[in-house]
This record gives sequence, C-alpha cells and structure tokens, in this order.
Amino acid sequence: MKKRLAVLLAMAMMASVFSGCGKKEEAPAEAPAVETEAPAEEEKTEVPAEEPAKEEAVVVNTVILKEADDKMLNTYSVLAVDPEAPFVDADGKAVEGVAVNTAGADALIQWLLSEEAKTLAAEYGKEEYNDTLFYVKEDAPAFEGEIAKATEETKTIRLSTTTSVNDSGLLGAILPVFEGEYGYTVEIQSAGTGKAIAAAKNGNADLILVHSKSQEEAFVAEGFARVLEGFESERLSFLYNYYVLCGPTEDPAGAASAATVMDAFKAIADGKHVFISRGDNSGTHTKEISLWPEELGITVEPESFADYTEWYTSANTGMGACLMMAEEMEGYILTDKATFLTFVANNGVM
Amino acid sequence: MKINAFSKTYEGRKVLDMPEMELTSGKIYAVIGANGSGKSTLAKCLAGILTTDQKQQILSPDISVGYMPQKSYAFRMNVEKNIFLGSKDLIRAKKLMKDLQIEHLAKKSAAKLSGGETARMALGRVLMKTFDLLILDEPTAAMDMETTSLTENLLMEYCRETGCVLLLVTHSLQQARRVADEVFFYYKGKLVESGKKEHVLYSPEMEETQKFLKFYGE
Amino acid sequence: MQSALAKAVALILSADAELCNILSVTAKMSISSSLIALILGVPIGIWLGSSRFRGQSILLIINRTLMGMPPVVCGLIFYMLFSGVGPFGKWKWLFSVRIMILAQVVLILPIVVGNMETYVTGIAQTVKETAKGLGLSGWKTFFLLMNECVYQICSTYLLAFARSIAEVGAVSMVGGAIAWKTNVMTTAIMQYTNRGNFSLGIALGLILMTISLVVNILISVMQRRINR
Repeated sequence: MKKRLAVLLAMAMMASVFSGCGKKEEAPAEAPAVETEAPAEEEKTEVPAEEPAKEEAVVVNTVILKEADDKMLNTYSVLAVDPEAPFVDADGKAVEGVAVNTAGADALIQWLLSEEAKTLAAEYGKEEYNDTLFYVKEDAPAFEGEIAKATEETKTIRLSTTTSVNDSGLLGAILPVFEGEYGYTVEIQSAGTGKAIAAAKNGNADLILVHSKSQEEAFVAEGFARVLEGFESERLSFLYNYYVLCGPTEDPAGAASAATVMDAFKAIADGKHVFISRGDNSGTHTKEISLWPEELGITVEPESFADYTEWYTSANTGMGACLMMAEEMEGYILTDKATFLTFVANNGVM
Repeated sequence: MKINAFSKTYEGRKVLDMPEMELTSGKIYAVIGANGSGKSTLAKCLAGILTTDQKQQILSPDISVGYMPQKSYAFRMNVEKNIFLGSKDLIRAKKLMKDLQIEHLAKKSAAKLSGGETARMALGRVLMKTFDLLILDEPTAAMDMETTSLTENLLMEYCRETGCVLLLVTHSLQQARRVADEVFFYYKGKLVESGKKEHVLYSPEMEETQKFLKFYGE
Repeated sequence: MQSALAKAVALILSADAELCNILSVTAKMSISSSLIALILGVPIGIWLGSSRFRGQSILLIINRTLMGMPPVVCGLIFYMLFSGVGPFGKWKWLFSVRIMILAQVVLILPIVVGNMETYVTGIAQTVKETAKGLGLSGWKTFFLLMNECVYQICSTYLLAFARSIAEVGAVSMVGGAIAWKTNVMTTAIMQYTNRGNFSLGIALGLILMTISLVVNILISVMQRRINR
C-alpha cells in the first residue's frame, strides 16, 4: 500500500512540475515586451520568450567613458602568503608554525606571470563574447625562468580568490594548463574579497588573487605577504579590466549621457534611482563606494546609508545574483565587465 | 525464605510498609486490598524493580525471582519467540502453550493478540523458568472466566510441582479464596492482617479487613 | 520551471563529469554522516530513554538545545578549530570531505538521539519490567529494546539522511565548496544561485529532491517489510 502511495506521489510531483510549466510561460511573455532591447545581434537569436534578460543599458558601450575613466579601473593582483606572518587564532593569541605551501605558491605565481599564462588570460573569452575580458598590464612583472614541478609535499596549492574572479571562468580555463604541465592541484576557494583575505590570514591559503588595492596594501602592511625571489613587491598586479555601470534601458538617471562616471553616480543619487550594491566588502564594493559623491557619506558601514535605503539596496551576495536583482528591480549596478558579459550572453543567467 | 522488613516512600508519602516475613516454599500467597493499597508496589519491590527506602536487599541474593507485571509487554516477534525469551526449553514451551491453550497462536505475531491471549502468553513466558519466588501481578485480570479457571489450576499445579513460592496479587476475592494458602491484606500501604486463608478471608480479626470483605462481598 | 526541468534532464543525460563528481561527493558525505550519526546516536538515545538517573533531564535539555544549533554556527566552530591558525590546523582536515562529515555528524547526532529517546521513553518502563521479571540481563534487555525500535530506527535514519543531504551552512564553511573535491549538491546550488544562474540551481535542486525521494521510498519499503 505504501509503495503504491509513494509511486503515486512521485508521479504527482512530476505532473505538477509539468503542469506548472505551462502556466509560467504565459506571464513572462508579456513583461519583456515592454523592456525588450536586444543590445547585440547574437542575443536576439538566443532569447526564448520567457526569459527577460536584456534590459541593461551598458554605459561602457559609450566608448569615451571606457577609455578615459580610470576611476573604473579594476586591477587584479596576486600575493603570496608569508609563513612567518603574525598569525593569530580566534582569541588573538599568536600562532606558530602555520603550514603554507610556499613552493607551490611560488610555482603558481611564476606561471601566472609567465608569457604563457598572460597570453592565455588575454585570450580568454575573446571568441565567445567578442570582447576582451582581461587585459595584461603593460608593467606587469614577468617571469621567464624554470618553474619547479610538483612534489608529494608541494602538490596541493590553496588559492583564495574572489567570486568575481572565479565566476568569470578565467581560472577554470587557464589553470588546468598549469596543473597539467607541472603536476600541481590548485584548490580554489572563492568568496567575497573580505572573506578571501580572511582565509589567508587564518592560514588556510597559500596565495590570494584579489582586486582591491586598499585591502591588498593592508594585507601587506600587516605582514601577511612575502616577496618572491626576483621580484620587488609583495603585490604583483598583472591583469586588469574595467568596471562598468549598468542600468535599465530607459536610463531614468541619464547615466549614459553623464560626463564622467562620478557624475552618473551623482545623478543616480539625486534622482533616488534604485541602485544595487554588493554590500560585502568585495573589490567591486570598495570601488563602488569610491564613486559616490562625498556629501552622501556612503561607506561600507551599514549606518552610513541607513537614510538611503529606499533606493540604495545593499545586497550582500555574489555579482551574478546582484545582477539578477538589478534586472528584477530595474536598478543601476556597478559590475566588472567579464561577469556582465557572461550574464548577458547567457540570457540573463550564468 | 525470609523477607526483610522494608518500606517505600514515593514523593514524600509512605506508600508501603512491610514487616519482616517468612514464606514457605510450595505455598501460594495472595495479596489483596483495594486499589492504591500498595499491592503492586509490594510486588515491584520484591521483584527488584523499585528500590526500597532501606536500599538494602530485602531478599537473600541467592533467591531467583520471577515477575509478571500488570501490563505485560508483547515483543515484536511471534508468540513462540516471546515465550522463548523466558528460556529456550522446547518441551517446556510446548507443554505450557498447550496448557494455556495458545498452541494455535505459536506463529502469530504477538502484537496482534487480544488482551486475554497476551496475558496467557506473558504468563507462559514467565513460567518457562523455575524461579524460587514467582510474583504475579493480577495475571488473570484480562482473562475471561473459563481461561481464569484454567490459569488458576495451572498455577496451583505448577506451585506444587516446582515447590516455588507464588505471590499472587489479585483484586478478586474469589480468586484468593480458590487459590491461596495464605493471604496478605493491605490497607493504605500497611499490612493490616495476614495469615491462613480460612482465617483472613472467613474470620478476620481486624476491622478494616471486615469492612473490606463486606464491601467487596461474597 | 520547464527550462529548469529540461536543464536537469539534459545535465543528467550528458553525464557531465563535474555533475558526476558533485553527486559522488554528496553521496559519500551524506551516507557517511547519516550512518555514523545513526550508529552513535541510537544506542545513546535508547540509553537516555530507558535509564533514570540524576542529571538525566539536564542531558536531555542539552541535547534538545544542540538539536537547534544553526548549521552555519557549527560550520564556523569547526572552521575555527581546524583553520590554519586553529588548534587542529596541523591535521589539515579543513576543506576535506572528512571534516564535512564530522561537522554533519555533530549536527545530526542530537536529532537522532532526541528521536530515539522520545520513542523509547514510551515503552522503556514496561519493557524493562517485563525483562527483569524474566530474569534477563541488562545487555539482553538493551538489545531487546533496540529490536523493539527497529521501525523507529529506520524512520530516524530517513530523518538523518534528509538533514544531511539538504544541509549547506556547515559544509560550505568547512568544505569550501572546492570544485572536484568538496562541492556537494547544496553548495553547488548556492554557487550557481550566487552567480545569477537560478535555473541551473533549480535544476540541481530537482535532482537533489529526486534522490531524496528515492531514498525515502527504499527505506519505507524496508520499514514495511520489517513490520510484517
């Protein structure tokens, strides 16, 4: 009796799923009609009726803003964790002998700064999105020597990075080459910048790959990073790309026509237009904070924007989810271009 | 066998007071009294299920005690296996099942028995091993008249054959009259009167006993 | 929703290597943690339900409190303990399936204990009296009691398994959701959702629930057999 009930229940579940699908399709078909704007040729063919994706007005498409606005520069740096760093445990007591795979970290960093890796990074996504996702810095440090192969002890490299980096798919694309050539296994932990750096400070990472200059400099100042042989700085910046300001097609704040990105931000604030903030102390978040007019007094502290909550939405989640939110709420958002392109190309989903 | 004096206090109230006692093997002792008079408490204390106030042994440790509670548990197995929990003696099991007329239920799941059948199974189970002192708490409460009579005869025969001491807690005066050699009458936790059946049940000395007999009637 | 279902089916049919890895890590973790919690918790629960001793009610209160521990708190505690700077950092258990199992056992054990204790309390007194009356030893009584609970043990296992497979707070913290190593269904769903890929998240969710359903059916059938 029970067996039969269970099977019936399973069938009912499947049936409800299928029947539910039919209804769902009608509603979304109306909504996108209002907002539909296909920004690029390739998206038109891929959009099915029920997915409302493409309503982002991409400010960066205005060529002038992209080139001139250093304010939106997003630099990626890799830092090696120093085993002699002043690690402290949860109570604040100093901890000795924290295990850090320096050999592995060295190998990975050397490879990332090699011609091979830089080329791969620069090429990444070009074909798929018809746009450059990552640029190699002209003054990036370079490595030309021999990279040590993996040994039993140094095989596992713990890389702590941010969700933005990981979600762009860059690491997934280039690291297998490194792993194949030298025999290492790279374990990637991705989290918001704050948590990514904290992981290193807790002795859980061998190197970090982040894009928040102020936090990187603090990391170095606190003594957690080390200088690799042959290099000058603890902070090895090698890639960059641009943030872009995105918003609804209608662009009620007139951001597209603003002179600079900071003027755009001012317009958004003045008009109290919905803005989605990462709110998680990430590199993107810190950059966004720096673009608001000073009088507003917006900082990473929640109290600073308590008065603006009707339009300033602090989401505290990953870039993709925030983009989804911007989509739903027809709001403005600062995002890195790689994530945005992936988001759009996949019709609003990644 | 000798029973040391003991008492049992529960939540501040003394529910049982038992003086020192001597029990003779082969005899059936009936424990009677109204509800709440302490009969079951007595049974549980002697069986070792409740600890007495005195916290020491009330019986000599080399005396084996068997006990059948008022609510007997039917384990999740068939009747036969339940009975084998008492002991693995096949022949004895067969005989007991026959005597208690539950042979036909041997392979039946014990959970599906009626009240009377469960009681018979529980009784058979506890009779599988020969104890020096066998305490039965209202064993025939769930049985009909015919089965009760059957059980009583079985118990009397059993007692004579094995020479055990049978302590039978019962709420039925008639049962006591039929079966007992000696009777303990309890009133509000105190052993008011004890002695031979003829004495306690037919010509009691104490007032409470007389009142009890009159109330519960012939 | 239809796209989610289509995606789910497509994923399974494609036998996507990463999905297979996620499924196998999930299976390894959930089965291990629920079984370990069961093996440890059933005897403890039965013991708690059948004994009577001073301090018993305190133990029960502690157990009940532990039942309500938020998984993310549990994850945090283990993260701090096994972190590079933590007391057990040297063991290198962080970001492994082993520590995920450990954290989950700690979460699920109180539930198993609580479940068994509640059930056993109802029958323990009578069983013990009957067993003692028959002259059975303490161990024999314990095993008899366990035998009485078999049906209950099965349903408790279902509960343990369901808790384990649906849990995300603790395993994401201590496991790090590392691709090909410690990524399970729930953390994968969270990752996709955070990236904005909601429909893939739902697709995975459907797969997860189907697995749960299958396990439920299997064990319910087993329960039925036991009860015959």
